Amino acid sequence: MITLPRRLAHLVLALAIALAPALLSAPGAAAATTTASTTPAIASDVFPDPLRVGTEGVYAPFSIKQGDEFTGFDIDVMNEVGKRLGVEVEYVATPWDSMFAALGSGRFDIVANQVTASPEREQLYDLSDPYVETGGVLVVAEDNPKDITELADLKGKKAAENLTSSWREVAEEYGAEIVGVDGMTEAMANLKQGRVDAIVNDKLAVRNYIATSPDPGVKVVAETDDTAQSVFAAKKGSGYMPAINKALAEMEQDGTTQRIYDTYFAADVKAPTWWDLVKDNAGPMALAAITVTIPLTVLSFAIGLVLALIAAMGRMSHAALPRAIARTYISIIRGTPLLVQLYLIFFALPQMGVDLSPFPAAVIALSLNVGGYAAEVIRSAVESIPKGQWEAAQTIGMSRRTALRRIILPQAARTAVPPLSNTLISLVKDTSLTSIILVVEILRQAQFAAAPTFQFMAMYGLAAIYFWIICMVISIFQDRAEERFSRYVAV
Amino acid sequence: MSPSDAPVTAPGRAAAPGAPVVSARTIRKSFGEKDVLRDISFDVPEGGVTVVLGPSGSGKTTLLRSLGGLERPDAGVITIGGTTVDFADLTPNRHGRLPRAQREQEDALAAQTGFVFQGHNLFAHKTTLDNITEGPIVVQGEDPEAARERARVLLEQVGLSEHADKYPFQLSGGQQQRVGIARALAQRPAVVLFDEPTSALDPETVGEVLTVMRDLAEQSWTMVVVTHEIRFAREVADDVLFIDGGVVVERGAPEQVILEPQEPRTQAFLKRILDPL
Ligand SMILES: Nc1ncnc2c1ncn2[C@@H]1O[C@H](COP(=O)(O)OP(=O)(O)O)[C@@H](O)[C@H]1O
Ligand SMILES: [Mg+2]
Repeated sequence: MITLPRRLAHLVLALAIALAPALLSAPGAAAATTTASTTPAIASDVFPDPLRVGTEGVYAPFSIKQGDEFTGFDIDVMNEVGKRLGVEVEYVATPWDSMFAALGSGRFDIVANQVTASPEREQLYDLSDPYVETGGVLVVAEDNPKDITELADLKGKKAAENLTSSWREVAEEYGAEIVGVDGMTEAMANLKQGRVDAIVNDKLAVRNYIATSPDPGVKVVAETDDTAQSVFAAKKGSGYMPAINKALAEMEQDGTTQRIYDTYFAADVKAPTWWDLVKDNAGPMALAAITVTIPLTVLSFAIGLVLALIAAMGRMSHAALPRAIARTYISIIRGTPLLVQLYLIFFALPQMGVDLSPFPAAVIALSLNVGGYAAEVIRSAVESIPKGQWEAAQTIGMSRRTALRRIILPQAARTAVPPLSNTLISLVKDTSLTSIILVVEILRQAQFAAAPTFQFMAMYGLAAIYFWIICMVISIFQDRAEERFSRYVAV
Repeated sequence: MSPSDAPVTAPGRAAAPGAPVVSARTIRKSFGEKDVLRDISFDVPEGGVTVVLGPSGSGKTTLLRSLGGLERPDAGVITIGGTTVDFADLTPNRHGRLPRAQREQEDALAAQTGFVFQGHNLFAHKTTLDNITEGPIVVQGEDPEAARERARVLLEQVGLSEHADKYPFQLSGGQQQRVGIARALAQRPAVVLFDEPTSALDPETVGEVLTVMRDLAEQSWTMVVVTHEIRFAREVADDVLFIDGGVVVERGAPEQVILEPQEPRTQAFLKRILDPL
């Protein structure tokens, strides 16, 4: 005869209200602001202020994020454009494969990330005039085991490409089998390790990689026929492009663009050692752990448990409606990938007018996920408590709600601790998935650190250590909890 | 003599003077097609001990659970300690929930009873003392220190003072059942209901539980006891109720019902349990 205690719903509401300020001011959204200091050459009111710019931050030397600062060729060009337009520019770090989804859902206003102009993109987006022209190159490992010397040799070979990049289309045209990667750094590593046979990528990016890597291990064997023109992209009908094109033309004329180009492509940059990298980034990554990963985990788990309790009560209710709702919720959560849930909440909800910043969106998605999984754990734990315990509580005058709280749940907790600890440990690791919706957690921070140096093994290793430490601490608490709960049972 | 040194005796209930503490009238209960209780009526006077005898499946547990608020009769009137519920008047919805006023009335009736289960049902995660004080502190809002003091007196009464801080799993079956009794007494009930309190126990611990129950009877607690312990019934009961097939087949003083049963069904039952071979 378990019905959902009505006041539990009030509790949730109260919790939500209490947490709201924390969510709204929560860390995690990657944004940095560059203030335009000089007088605007072109005043314009078609631009939002600040102008939010989507960029990877992990695509050296075009887009690099170091700490809170964004640098790189595309960034410097964009900053200069912003300065000339008199608008403040703010960067939003976004994985390339989420870039256009994020632009579409209004996470930012324009993309500055080596977007190659193409007729398809021309149809879907407002594109600026090109600010740099480059070509594609065919890259293979130094020893070139598959003996690839021209683009035609790609037929049937494996090429590492960003799934949504235009270089993928080039490689595919020549018959390559595409292996999806997250960025150039990862592509190069796969190539050197022999997991793919070739890469087709931007000439400038590859040149920069070879120039700055301590041990490049790859070589260029061919160039594509056609050149690629890099442009800024905004939503259709933005009205930004006339002013931006004017600024770009001026920069071309007064040599500003060339000067920026030289800083990145003519310079002889000395790469830091992996140890330097670890030393420089251990702090920022620990900060990401403390300010993002841990709060994200704790909040999501707490809210998730409340949701789980409600869903579990719904499942055990005598009324059909709560049972059906709870069953549907649990089935959807367990039957769909977390990644898809994250995408829906972050990219699809804005199209319905619900616009959440990354951290709250991540908390919502992860809480819902925990709720769905933990509901069944709680339900089976509650159902494992003998009926006599409910009845004894009833004979001393307890309401069902009090009995649940004081008699049943404390005993059910003992059964539920091991599976709930598993849920919590999975959650810690699942927080890394939120990097895809622009949350700068440990993994994303590691990618930022690794990208300009192409030494990402050290950074991923460091990220792994941080995750491992967090999970170990949880295991220790789990042992304590189990010990505590086993006080009252014979062993 | 401080109040806590006084032996704990049954709280006096003043309904009409001389009125029974428990009065059950034409109690009816069926599970699906099966009529388990068919018009059962009986009274228990203040300080009286009524023992309910009957074969397995005759409805004894259902009767006791109906008195204790764990089962809702389909019809009939129960009055305990001055609180009355006429079950024919209740209007539960299809999930069994009552309107608020009716639910409160039903709860008030249940609050007049203490229940001792066949399988003690102690709260496994609470110590002996906490099992006893849980109701008084959490439900009745009694001052915790006072409730603990009262619980210690009750524990002394059931002979378990030195086990106050143990968990149920650390106690023997007989000790657990005595804690169960103390927990029921802590409710200050008008009547204590016992459902075969010794039948799940090892034989050597049965005696200690029956001794405690005998003490309670002497201290004038009003009790309804379902049991197969014929000697206990003969020596302690004021009234014996033999039920079978959901009706009271025979009732009277123990000497009469147990030693000179009139009804063939009573005779057959007693023969079976007194001389099982
Ligand atoms: N919750 C229930 N649902 C269905 N039938 C029940 C339920 N409780 C008891 N019964 C049935 O009612 C009859 C009387 O049971 P019970 O009161 O436990 O008898 P006793 O305690 O005398 O052995 C039995 O036939 C039993 O199977
Ligand atoms: Mg029974």
